[in-house]
Amino acid sequence: MKSAFTNRRGAVLEMMRMRTSPLGFADLVARHRSEIHRYLVRLLGDVEDARDACQDTMLRAQVAFPRLRPDSNPRAWLFRIATNAARNTGRGRTRRARHTADVELDGLPAAAVASPEQREDLRLVARAVDALPPRQRAALMLRRFHGLAYAEIAASVGGTETAARANVYQAIRKLRAALEDDL
Amino acid sequence: MTRHDDTLVAMLLGDAPATPAVRRRLAGDEGERSRRALSALDALYGDARVQPAAHPDAQPPARPMVYWDSLDALIGRVLVAVSDAGVVRIAFRRSAASFVAELAQQLGAEAVRSRARTADVVRQLRGYFAGERLAFELPVDLGRLTQFQRRVLTATAAVPAGRLVSYGDIARRIGRPGGSRAVGQALGHNPVPIVIPCHRVIAASGRIGGYTGGLGIKRALLRIEGTLAAVA
Repeated sequence: MKSAFTNRRGAVLEMMRMRTSPLGFADLVARHRSEIHRYLVRLLGDVEDARDACQDTMLRAQVAFPRLRPDSNPRAWLFRIATNAARNTGRGRTRRARHTADVELDGLPAAAVASPEQREDLRLVARAVDALPPRQRAALMLRRFHGLAYAEIAASVGGTETAARANVYQAIRKLRAALEDDL
Repeated sequence: MTRHDDTLVAMLLGDAPATPAVRRRLAGDEGERSRRALSALDALYGDARVQPAAHPDAQPPARPMVYWDSLDALIGRVLVAVSDAGVVRIAFRRSAASFVAELAQQLGAEAVRSRARTADVVRQLRGYFAGERLAFELPVDLGRLTQFQRRVLTATAAVPAGRLVSYGDIARRIGRPGGSRAVGQALGHNPVPIVIPCHRVIAASGRIGGYTGGLGIKRALLRIEGTLAAVA
């Protein structure tokens, strides 16, 4: 958190904001940072990349915070900034990730404790997740693990509520299809 | 992608109530796969552990050792790596630097170049490329693979030089008829090619099939074994 305030101007801005807003930027960060970090791990599949993207998210959020409207949903707003930050982090790394995704199940969380039968499913599903378009992956993770409503997902990844729902459903169909060949 | 499909997914996500009709579908193949897909997703991404920073006083855990070396063969440079349990990686058409980086990354091991530790596998590979040896007598380390991959590779290891089998043959041998595509994928990730002869597995049509190292290498290996002419 410290690095989000390393520049003095930012710190001053943040203090001014605290006086006028019921929820200051520091509160917002304290409340949501670890959730945003976990979301980014789910998007990027890599704790280190996620840490960089989370840092980036908080810096962007700090800059944009004065323009955040009091009536908007700050959590969905942070998710949107994080989704964009992940897209930039993902660029140029995606290709490398695709090459290695097949064999690097061991690097993914929880894979180590799965039974051997499950591991084959894990490998196929991990590969299918890596192949999802970024928007589908984001919508899926927000729905499954962060409990966002479809309207909030739409606010976080862009597009309409209907499109957000379609993205989630389409993603799940693709994961299911990945298990088809293996029966 | 029917409306039915959507009600099944909607129910699994908790977006819609479970009607009797959807419950029946959930008991079918598609429902079973859907549940497996979601449970794999949960296992992979559910906790999304954010690793705590290492305590400064903590001792780094001892890393396993892996020993590597390279040899020049008629298919180009061949890189080999041996763990305490046996041959753990064989690779070709790549730089030693990327091979060593991958050993560290995938096996969490400290990679050390060692002619002595890799002598057995290097000698046997030289004999193979010289046409003096067609079978390997080497322990192989398949420790980090899935059970399915191990079964595929073990079945493939039993195919002798001079014989060719299809992906479907291997699928049947491991009791997964119809699993030939999964077999092909598992063979595509064979960590110890040549020693486990995935090049002897071809398509049912008699076509050569695929090979991670490139079809040129697969053809070269089959030429050594005298079976290239049998491939369409």
